[in-house]
Amino acid sequence: MSTSLLSLAGQALLDRRHFLTHLGSGLQGIALVHLLAGSSSASPKGPIRPVIRPEAPLAARPPHFPARAKRVLHIFCSGACSHLDTFDYKPELLRRDGQPLPGGENLITFQGANGNLARSPYAFRQRGKCGKWTSDLLPYIGDCVDELCFIHSMTAKSNTHGPAESQMNTGFTLEGFPSVGAWVSYALGSEQQDLPAFVAINDPRGVPQIGPANWSSGFLPAVFQGTAFSASQPIANLTAPARLSPAAQRDASSLLRLLNEEHLARHPGDSALALAARIASYELAARMQLSAPAVSDLSRESKATRDLYGADDSNPLLAGFARNCLLARRLLEKGVRFVQLFNGAYAMGEGVGNWDGHRQLKKDYDRHGPILDKPVAALLRDLKSRGLLDDTLVVWSTEFGRMPTFQKGAQGRDHNPAGFTVWLAGAGVKKGHSYGATDDFGHRAVDQVTTIYDLHATILHLLGLDHERLSYYHNGIERRLTDVHGHVIRGILA
Amino acid sequence: MRRLLLLACFLVSHPVLAEAPAFRQAIAPLLQTHCLKCHAGKKARAELDLTTRQKLLEGGGSGPAIKPGDAAGSLLFQLVRDGKMPPRQPLAQADIDTFRRWIDAGAPWEGSALQAPVAKEMTPTDLWSLRPIRRPTVPTPRQSAIVRTPVDAFLLSALEAKGLSFAPQADRRTLIRRVYFDLIGLPPTPEQIDDFLNDPRADAYERLVDRLLASPQHGERWARHWLDVVRFAESHGYEMNTLRPNAWPYRDWVIRAFNSDLPFREFVRQQFAGDVLAGSDPLTSAATGFLVAGAHDMVGNATLEGKLQQRADDLFDIVATTGSTFLGLTVGCARCHDHKFDPIGQKDFYALQALVAGVEHAERDWNALPTPQRDRDIARLTEQLGQLEQQLDALEAPVGTKGRPGVLPRRNVERFAPIQARFVRFTVLATTDGTEPCIDELELYGPGQSDNLALASRGVKPSASSVYPNSAIHRIEHLNDGQLGNSRSWISNQRGGWVQLELPSPVLLDRIIWGRDRQEQFRDRLASRYRIEVSLTGKDWVTVASHEDRLPPGVAAKESQAASEQLREQQRQLQEQLAALRQPPRVYAGTFRTPDVVHRLRRGDVMQKLEVVPPGGIAAIRPALELSPSAPEPQRRLALADWLTHPDNPLPARVIVNRLWHWHFGQGLVRTPGDFGNNGDRPSHPELLDWLADTFRASGGSFKAIHRLIVLSTAYRQSSRHDSRAASMDADNRLLWRYSPRRLEAEALRDALLQTAGSLDLRMGGPGYHLWEYSGYVIVFKPKPRLGPTEFRRMIYQFKPRLQQDGTFGAFDCPDATTVVARRNVSTTALQALNLLNDPFVLDQADRFAGRVQAEVGSDPVRQVERAFRLALGRSPSEKERSAAVPLVQQHGLALLGRTLFNTNEFLFVH
Repeated sequence: MSTSLLSLAGQALLDRRHFLTHLGSGLQGIALVHLLAGSSSASPKGPIRPVIRPEAPLAARPPHFPARAKRVLHIFCSGACSHLDTFDYKPELLRRDGQPLPGGENLITFQGANGNLARSPYAFRQRGKCGKWTSDLLPYIGDCVDELCFIHSMTAKSNTHGPAESQMNTGFTLEGFPSVGAWVSYALGSEQQDLPAFVAINDPRGVPQIGPANWSSGFLPAVFQGTAFSASQPIANLTAPARLSPAAQRDASSLLRLLNEEHLARHPGDSALALAARIASYELAARMQLSAPAVSDLSRESKATRDLYGADDSNPLLAGFARNCLLARRLLEKGVRFVQLFNGAYAMGEGVGNWDGHRQLKKDYDRHGPILDKPVAALLRDLKSRGLLDDTLVVWSTEFGRMPTFQKGAQGRDHNPAGFTVWLAGAGVKKGHSYGATDDFGHRAVDQVTTIYDLHATILHLLGLDHERLSYYHNGIERRLTDVHGHVIRGILA
Repeated sequence: MRRLLLLACFLVSHPVLAEAPAFRQAIAPLLQTHCLKCHAGKKARAELDLTTRQKLLEGGGSGPAIKPGDAAGSLLFQLVRDGKMPPRQPLAQADIDTFRRWIDAGAPWEGSALQAPVAKEMTPTDLWSLRPIRRPTVPTPRQSAIVRTPVDAFLLSALEAKGLSFAPQADRRTLIRRVYFDLIGLPPTPEQIDDFLNDPRADAYERLVDRLLASPQHGERWARHWLDVVRFAESHGYEMNTLRPNAWPYRDWVIRAFNSDLPFREFVRQQFAGDVLAGSDPLTSAATGFLVAGAHDMVGNATLEGKLQQRADDLFDIVATTGSTFLGLTVGCARCHDHKFDPIGQKDFYALQALVAGVEHAERDWNALPTPQRDRDIARLTEQLGQLEQQLDALEAPVGTKGRPGVLPRRNVERFAPIQARFVRFTVLATTDGTEPCIDELELYGPGQSDNLALASRGVKPSASSVYPNSAIHRIEHLNDGQLGNSRSWISNQRGGWVQLELPSPVLLDRIIWGRDRQEQFRDRLASRYRIEVSLTGKDWVTVASHEDRLPPGVAAKESQAASEQLREQQRQLQEQLAALRQPPRVYAGTFRTPDVVHRLRRGDVMQKLEVVPPGGIAAIRPALELSPSAPEPQRRLALADWLTHPDNPLPARVIVNRLWHWHFGQGLVRTPGDFGNNGDRPSHPELLDWLADTFRASGGSFKAIHRLIVLSTAYRQSSRHDSRAASMDADNRLLWRYSPRRLEAEALRDALLQTAGSLDLRMGGPGYHLWEYSGYVIVFKPKPRLGPTEFRRMIYQFKPRLQQDGTFGAFDCPDATTVVARRNVSTTALQALNLLNDPFVLDQADRFAGRVQAEVGSDPVRQVERAFRLALGRSPSEKERSAAVPLVQQHGLALLGRTLFNTNEFLFVH
């Protein structure tokens, strides 16, 4: 099956040596390999551009140096999940509850004026062997703390959801840049060829703020774009319409093959590269038609596993997100390179369907906490028990943190990009570890201040990629995920 | 050698004897390489100058840099040791040790002050693209007989220098498909192909090219290219992505500009200052849509920094786009610092910004049509709508049918068995919002009649239970005055109430039509519970209609008949057009105000203002942009446009002719069409580029003149035949030893599919069609469940939100308008295959294609296959293909052949 769609002439063209001399034909953006090789490739710090074979653009490619992680799961909480009500324990905030934030008398943040310091409505307690303090909002994840590596000193460049979400997922606050998953697929391809290399799983409630920009390929070729599907939403156009009988589909495929081969025979030489690549894409589509429904078939999971995640929970939102978590594990297990798992959506407005707790944080978070908690904890445990955590990097993040004060006249917190928490787990990172810190109130990162550039540099590093050398020429600039910034956060590496 | 080794061992084992490292050999190079770039001279960072020992001892803002004899207590050493200096690249451990030993040894200094490394001053002539355009002599290649336009002379000379030549000419069938897609973005029809193949005239091709360049579809094709470059979209982008329903006039202006071959100077000037150049031409004023075609963050941000950042991002977008679009320079790089590769200072960026600092993202009033014309259009469309609605009324379910459509504010039809009447009474029991009811007109009709029998002019007398007091516009006389709309209506003075019409004599009725506001300005006061009765005497009443068999207000009935579905679609379109005409026209083309004073910003940080920067151009580009610092707003934009189109400014002409070349051949003479800087490509044929740029200037900036030079050339007409010898010397075909085949872009693919299926609607201009239903203040895009003829216009007329891709064709590397796209990627993915195989839109077109073929050639499968191939691929099937395709049609139907042909490489590639 896998080669039958290609004529002999086509296969001959897919000879690797041939590709190396004709990179430009299939993926025009990559034609500039030659063009810009000049001075930079001579330098030991110059760009390293992956060699993309047009007929198999997602074929596995070697990293720059030995990798700790083979794949990444990025769990993203949309709407800005408060660090102060989850993972960043601040005894001083308990003591000074109701008092003004020192030095914050006239502080104006995103939505306006702030009231007094406000303790979290959720109690904190120590958990795990490491004794990490986490809140009762997320007790299941709290019980996993011995696997987690917290970064409490994360900072973002924007206090606005769109640009900040864009920064966390693409490295830039402006639009139009490739997402982390697209960069990783571009660099490393995929270890399986029956499923997309990069999958974006949307929350059952809808898409996050900037929607598809979160998994966009930006200026990279479209083949590196994330494919959006979830446990409840299959890949668009995956199946043929019911009215086409299997016989009709088969006969149409053979006619298509015949027509393409005749055409290929009339256009020999390197112009056939792009033609052969397109023929190959139909093969991949055919394989995906078989593999994607299989990987999405959660009925193959045992009842014990389903219960661990809460896949049949009476809360349909929890059950829906749990099924997405289960799907994420199944995709990682199959060797999908990058899975982006979204929790929360913007469609329903501020705080209702996401973590944007401006007005009534407790009311909002009482709803959101359980949806996230049990399924994510189950996913971590499941990955670990299957040995996948050894070579899978898990990243949990959100676009920015929230204020230690309540907004004036409200029971919720405003945006705070000056300090917040993300955590990592799995391949190559320390376990039960906390890195960096915010001040006594959790307002600003003060110790080992970290940027999103650093986080991205670290993710690439764990995948065996040098973030300063993974680049793509676009509109006059050798573009990187980390722009001109970023340092690998050595302090969290195991 | 042996002695050296011994010495090395000695040094290592007795470090104390090593004393100070030699200053000239060890210390001076370290300082010069790693420190003096920032810490030297008057502008030294942190006021720390490291060029003399004295200055090291004096130190800078943080105190002395060294304490001789005490490295650990010296600031310089501490910073170097902790990796904090140099900031980006910490020193190697060996170098750190060298510093330690030097300071511990007392920091001995040799000689006078160290020299800071001199930054290389960039001069304009260092960059090829800034040199003046010189008109080169057209070379004479050996094979001058195959030179058709001077373009060939340049290309052929370069080929001959390598012992190569052009490929043989493409056959006519290949050529016509190529030039159709290239010039108008559509495939030729089988008849157009035949005409060309059979045209015996020597200039058949020239005539074809002239016809295509004169075709209105030409502008639609080339406007799409331009819209890529200027990041045009019809929504704001960012998280809210609010729609811009009135951005389309800019798109129409671009189409017209290419169709009318607007001279380049005007093309540029209008995009910067169309508002002041428009005169009485509204489309020209819409040209400033260029300035605000980019993203714009609408989210309210209470912080000063947030607000300043949003404004700075807007202006950055305009400046960066201007730079890449017209100058081919990455001006945006100079937002935070001097350009690293090109002669663009940070100050230049802010000088350009000052030129456009009066531009605001906003709609403005748009005098789109002279008023009399608009009134005539409204009258014409209203009449069409009236005729259409009569047809629809006849299809309306009669009273008594369960599930009649819910009442609408605009117009409702009651159809019943014919009945004699002299009195008609409409009693309102309740309204949708509980307020006093309103009826703008009550119309009565007899069987098969289109005359309204209720008109006062026929002697019909209206009366009512009560009338809204003291109102000139809400009067009982308005109920049957023949004038529609809220301002000629009746409103009751109570919740509920009735109106009655008394006719001079009995008439036969079978329809009553009523509404609350036919002009749809108002939706309140709508009768939701009502009954209509008739009487011959005014005493004994018969109910002919009521709300009881209707669905709830606003709920549409399930359509059963295809006929009414089609009429409803037409009705909806007419209503939309009327609604659009009645709106005071607006255009999303920016508003203009007194510019703010522009400051250079330290590292681009909006909170760190540096000196004021007056408006100006890029200093390295000659001639300079001369403008008084106090020039008022529109003068600034005009000055910018004039500078960009000054005949001596070498960049814009080079950049635009290279773009045209790029779009014709798939790659430019400079393969980075948006970057003519040091980081971009060098021209493959510098003389040709200059010759084209100069010819373009000399032609008065005629795009079509350049199109003709290129498209009529031998180079363009050669076949795509592979040549392994040429390929081994020039794999990327930079020398153009053949025509490089190309895959269709998303837009050409969709348009071609529609044309092949016989569905394409070539109506030009105006608001675009929509693929989505929208909701939410942060726009949620829900694909329409089904696309119909409204969505069968060319893709250039597809309403284009930022970030949101066409679900079927977006996957074919369609730009999402988040950034300028000078060249599109071409990638091949499985999702593309799945979309073309299974997307409902494609399958629907396959069905329509089958219907078309059937209608054209009847039901003989052999003739069907012949016609299908000719329509889709522009040729007859081979014997082998025919004998495979005919059984498929016989067994599985013609639509499946359509689906298959749409998926072939031959359909998607142009050779």
